[in-house]
Amino acid sequence: MYAVDSPTTRKSPAPPGGVAPHRGGGHKRRPRRRKGDLRTPWLLALPALIALAGLLGYPLYRMIILSFQNMRLRELLTGRTPPWVGFDQYTKVLTDPVFWTVVRRTVIFTVVSVVISVLLGLAVALLMRRVHRRVRLLMIIAMMFVWAMPQLVAAQIFKWMTDADFGVVNYLIDKLPFVSFKDHSWFLSPTQGWVVITALVVWAGVPFLAITLNAGLTQVPKELLEAATVDGATAWQALRNITLPILRPLIIIVTTLSVIWNFGLFTQPWVLRDSKVEQEYQTLATYAYTQAFGRSNYSLGSAISVITVLLMLGVMAFYIRQMFKIGEVD
Amino acid sequence: MKRRIAVAAALAATLLGAAACGTSSDSDDVTTSASGAVSGAGKTVKVWLMVDAESSWKNVVDDATKRFTAATGAQVNIEYQQWANHLTKLDATLAGSDVPDVVELGNTEFSKYVFNGGFTALNKTDFENSDSWLTGLSGACELDGKTYCVPYYAGARVMIYRTDLFKSAGISAAPTTYADFLADADKLAAAKKSDSKFGPVYMPTNWYAAMSWVKATGGDIAVKNGDKWEGQLEQPKSIEGLQRWIDLVKKYSKADPAKDENDQAAIFSQGEAGIFYGNTWEKGAAEQVKKDPNDPNSKLVNTKVFGKLATAPMPETPSFLGGSNLGVTEKSANKALAAQWIKYFTDSTSMQGLIEKGVLPNSTALLDKAAAQKGSEAAAAAAKSSWFTPNAEKWADVEKATVMQQMLRDILTGKKSTADAAKWADGQINTILNES
Amino acid sequence: MVATAPGRASRKSATPAPRRKAAPDSDGTVTVGRSKAGTFFANLAGIVFFVIMIFPVYWVINTAFKPGPEVLQFTPSFIPEHPTLDNFVSAFKAPLFKEDLLNGLIVTVLAVIGALVVGFMAALAIARFQFYGRKAIILVVLAVQLVPFLALLIPLFLMLQKANLTNSLIGVSITYLVLILPYTVWTLRGFIAAIPRELDEAALIDGCSRFQTFWRIILPLTGPGLVATSVYGFIQAWNEFIIINTLNSPQKQNLMAWLLQNQTNRGTAWGPLMAGAIITSIPVVIFFLMIQRNIAAGLTAGAVKG
Repeated sequence: MYAVDSPTTRKSPAPPGGVAPHRGGGHKRRPRRRKGDLRTPWLLALPALIALAGLLGYPLYRMIILSFQNMRLRELLTGRTPPWVGFDQYTKVLTDPVFWTVVRRTVIFTVVSVVISVLLGLAVALLMRRVHRRVRLLMIIAMMFVWAMPQLVAAQIFKWMTDADFGVVNYLIDKLPFVSFKDHSWFLSPTQGWVVITALVVWAGVPFLAITLNAGLTQVPKELLEAATVDGATAWQALRNITLPILRPLIIIVTTLSVIWNFGLFTQPWVLRDSKVEQEYQTLATYAYTQAFGRSNYSLGSAISVITVLLMLGVMAFYIRQMFKIGEVD
Repeated sequence: MKRRIAVAAALAATLLGAAACGTSSDSDDVTTSASGAVSGAGKTVKVWLMVDAESSWKNVVDDATKRFTAATGAQVNIEYQQWANHLTKLDATLAGSDVPDVVELGNTEFSKYVFNGGFTALNKTDFENSDSWLTGLSGACELDGKTYCVPYYAGARVMIYRTDLFKSAGISAAPTTYADFLADADKLAAAKKSDSKFGPVYMPTNWYAAMSWVKATGGDIAVKNGDKWEGQLEQPKSIEGLQRWIDLVKKYSKADPAKDENDQAAIFSQGEAGIFYGNTWEKGAAEQVKKDPNDPNSKLVNTKVFGKLATAPMPETPSFLGGSNLGVTEKSANKALAAQWIKYFTDSTSMQGLIEKGVLPNSTALLDKAAAQKGSEAAAAAAKSSWFTPNAEKWADVEKATVMQQMLRDILTGKKSTADAAKWADGQINTILNES
Repeated sequence: MVATAPGRASRKSATPAPRRKAAPDSDGTVTVGRSKAGTFFANLAGIVFFVIMIFPVYWVINTAFKPGPEVLQFTPSFIPEHPTLDNFVSAFKAPLFKEDLLNGLIVTVLAVIGALVVGFMAALAIARFQFYGRKAIILVVLAVQLVPFLALLIPLFLMLQKANLTNSLIGVSITYLVLILPYTVWTLRGFIAAIPRELDEAALIDGCSRFQTFWRIILPLTGPGLVATSVYGFIQAWNEFIIINTLNSPQKQNLMAWLLQNQTNRGTAWGPLMAGAIITSIPVVIFFLMIQRNIAAGLTAGAVKG
């Protein structure tokens, strides 16, 4: 969640007076490329490809192989080749109701947290354009500190703040009249526990979203907005009919990124539950990890990971299509 | 002359053992000897101990290492591991080739690795007091008549209570029956009626405690019938014990059920409870805290409850024998040296050092010495009637799957009835323990 | 996307605020047609936002300066009653703290520099050339970001062990490099693509070699992009703890792993933990402050050119 990225702002038309000249310019020049250039790009890309193939590709290949075997602790310790079981692991995973509960929970969490995050990010970005210069500075300072805070630290401070016995959140809420919150346990009920986790994820994610969307907002031509106001449009109408359509590609990109990140949630439940994640707090990532390392069921864990990747590919396809559409990739 | 042959034999045995590394462990008929002279000059034995040794009895470690180096000439490199991730690290490390020679694991964690060939067989008689080892510790080490690890230390849970609160509530002595215990809790509650934060007994979701209650009424967790494990939690005797524990928590405890017993000493030291159930060393932890938690030699600072605590066995409740064992890894290249180090670290001298630090030794023969140690009387008595988790290969997986905690929480939150939760837990236990 | 309004530019705006400022801070408030009350409430909302956002950060700092007994009070104090630097001192004196701090820095810097070099080259290839296999490479770079790294932990470990790279900072650096590489490549690609090809052509005509074009023209212009990706890379590598925990011995951990280890079996020491957390966050905060102007520039790079 720490990407500093805003593809749409980058893809701006460079030569003056052009409308999406990037694509046009490239196409026009293509026939003039020399065939002998074929070596150069491959040479340039080679180190990256080797690194990716070696440290990502090969382990990935092994992980897929693992998912078709049955590797347990004995094979790990003695180096024996694990027996080949075909699709057994996948069958086990896909017929396990617990797995589907975890999937459902991860999906619900992702949808809720991303919707809240993006809406909040957009609201904050709009707010940033509206407030006094000094207030905006305060907001940016706060967001910088939050953005800079490592995930682990953020999770630990939330754990401390919601501690049942010593947490400041209980103390503050208890101060409200007619509310008794002393010793309230935030993690006993999974619903409340997930409220804490979602709050943590949203809080940590708003800076990236707000600042990125804010950068996108600077691209909305002021003349358009001012013209609309002169024409009698309300702020809301200007937002809906001018700003949002212009911002739409950027919103889609940050939303997709947020979905991908939140779907793979691991650190927060891990830290908030002290590395002993109860069933109601398992996400796909923690579930795969617990199966693989906790239960020494490396093959089952691999199968779960493969399935997770396939699930995410669905979202990914959307992201890729969007990138293509914007003209990033021709 | 005879000695030379013995040494040669020992060396040969070690080499044979080393050669058997990496191949099927079924053919490992030799045990590693920890006696006899072994030359370790120029060699380093790699030892993995848990952080408890570093923070609480480093002197015992250093002393044993000194004696070992003097006897064999080998150096020792000790790495202290964290409880949170040591098993993951162990898995990854044992899968490779650069393995530690000696590893400490919790007694409930050992079975899994012993069954799967992670540790090498040792010569039981080489180790002092091995004929009277606490079975709660050694049970995990025995497989097919061979010994794969050495008991290290134990802790028994006892009742730790506030002497001042007892006095002001009119309780003259620690309770000796469970009925008295409950009556005392009532008295404590009555005396502190005005304090809304006060709970007579601090009992978080501590499954070891709950299972102790189950054992107290004659129940059990799981037994092996033939070659299948069967969960016993849904049996009436177990349910009775479970219910007793649940009733205790609901009536007398203000603890956060989402927490386990990890922080209980610190919370108890705030003074809002009268009794809690923990290891003996937790009494010290509640009374004094390190001024600098990161410095093993830091000064100690008194807490609110300093000098006000005492221990006593929990009446009519067998204590869970927690503790650690030490094993020599199957892939170790220095098996004999490793075994020797363990020998020094678990002999009577070391055990005495451990006793002085408030933990229990590894054998019943030494329990009386432990009882003589101020503060450990209750624990030593409790250790005599202790229980241990089912000695199943996959028991560690049951713990990893947090089955017990889940069951207890479901009952406490009202999600399931005691009987239903117990039945669910049994189902989980059966599935996991009997998984092929 | 921003294919609009060459015609509208002629319309005079009521507020003469210039549009072409590079720094979005100085200009910015849209006050045309906005009521004073609206502005007031907006400012109020902004301040509330600030308070809510910064509260956990403030709580970390607050806790870090409290002595142990005060941390564990039932009534939390909002300003330390007995402020002390003990927790920080404790953290610094803690075993392995300084080593882990150094390890973390080394590993992070190596990974980031490596990723920038390797990633820049790959991004050049993708952005500046049309060649057979280009689309495939792009697909790989995009798709590879989906893979849950944790699942690869054991195969990765076994592989590194064969190469004798476990329990070493180099092995971890390489792993982190690969972790941040896909994002680096993709982002740099976008920055490079935004640089007009005419510049390349002009340089080539003037007699520069291909390499000189890259070195002298594209690289400097990609400056903001390099900065933006280095921030991301730094944060990713600095924050990682599971991989380094598994690959390395306790003596070769980074600061994040050190933080996690602060939870002993005798309960959590919150004061020193928070102090450690602050110390751990400081490099990232400093890095951020150093480049925060560039973040904004990076984000809007090319937006207001010409």
